[in-house]
Amino acid sequence: MPPMTTELASKRFAVDDLTQAMDLCFEKGWTDGLPVVPPTEARVQAMLDAVALAPDKEIAFITNRQVGVTAEKVAINAVMAGCKPEYMPVVVAAVEGIADPRWGYHGPATSTGGAGVLMIINGPIGRRLDFNSGDNLFGPGWRANATVGRALRLVMRNVIGTLPGQLDRGTLGHPGKYTYVIAENEAESPWIPLHVERGLSKEDSAVTVMAAEGPHQFYNQLSSTAKGVLTTLCDDMRISGNTTSQPNYVVVIAGEHMQVIAADKWTKADIRTFVFEHTQNSIAHLKRTERMAGAIVADDEAARRPIVAAPEDILVVAAGGRAGAFSAYIPGWASRRTSEAVTKLINDRRA
Amino acid sequence: MARLEILDPTVEARKQPLTYVARPDSLQGKRIGLVENTKFNSDRLLLKIGEILKQDYGAAETRMWRKHNAGVPAHKEILDEARGTVDVVVAGIGD
Repeated sequence: MPPMTTELASKRFAVDDLTQAMDLCFEKGWTDGLPVVPPTEARVQAMLDAVALAPDKEIAFITNRQVGVTAEKVAINAVMAGCKPEYMPVVVAAVEGIADPRWGYHGPATSTGGAGVLMIINGPIGRRLDFNSGDNLFGPGWRANATVGRALRLVMRNVIGTLPGQLDRGTLGHPGKYTYVIAENEAESPWIPLHVERGLSKEDSAVTVMAAEGPHQFYNQLSSTAKGVLTTLCDDMRISGNTTSQPNYVVVIAGEHMQVIAADKWTKADIRTFVFEHTQNSIAHLKRTERMAGAIVADDEAARRPIVAAPEDILVVAAGGRAGAFSAYIPGWASRRTSEAVTKLINDRRA
Repeated sequence: MARLEILDPTVEARKQPLTYVARPDSLQGKRIGLVENTKFNSDRLLLKIGEILKQDYGAAETRMWRKHNAGVPAHKEILDEARGTVDVVVAGIGD
């Protein structure tokens, strides 16, 4: 390998002031439609210093695009997104996640299905950097959530060429394509954190990336049992995504529902098993509702089609506000053959 | 005089040579490979194309492979087998 350099290699553009810099970024087509922070050398260098990476360090290579994603380009886009330098390790790990062959970049980034990149933050870094895991979970107001997801989307746009209407052909897309970052509420959760279930230790920090539809909120303001709350969830969730072969779902259990389910001593594994078993559709129903081709035959009423291949494909996350009897589910994109959720360790140098 | 400089966030894709093999003058007697991309009905569409190539253009036979998914290139086993067993390959993508 050639030796790494410390010089920033990107082309430079001279401007008179910050306003002109922001306008230039719009004119060049470098933004997501919102103004960006002008990426000056000092700001970009601070990003690189936060991860101790040389600018020409290749963080990922996207085979379908024949594009190498260097630390310098990630840093520039993280600056533009409004990240603090200390967020940079999270952005780097997320880039590694979407470049992982299991995530399968070309499909979810390009598809008419319009997936966003859901990022779930776990471990100490979530609390240290103030990633929101509570009230208004998917909404605005937290710099870390707002800018880390935005940075990843700007990398996809500016470095990997995922431009709407060109190599991003989402028919509808969704607002999560601006940013789509949540943290698990490990402090109040009665359950094993997601990253620990996926093989890391509690002291590790991690980001899980999943190609995802928007969040679907469901109501249950009636039940005081785990079975009751999850029965409502399953009734909502059964007909979602493409109903036949999602690679993953995320189920986000918020405060009141979390308390109800925990009081019944249900674990995440119990939740997964129940949801897997109670979200299956009959083949006859899928045919009657034009989701599957073919005439209904005798066995179709009894034959069941699960919405994921196995209970383990349902990722359960404790997050959301303490008040309100609402939780959410999020269908993954396409099928297990094409993209699956990937969990990456965050190289949290301060941990 | 400029008061600040900003850095370009974009890159150019890595250049790679792309060359095409010569197209055959005729499909008469040729063995046709069909690479199916897993999209709904893509197998039926390719089989129909294969039938047309046999009936109207004199192709000898068709053989179909299925990719792992629509988002990836044909995998190594397909390429290795296609090299030894067919003369022409038909592939495509669409919804």
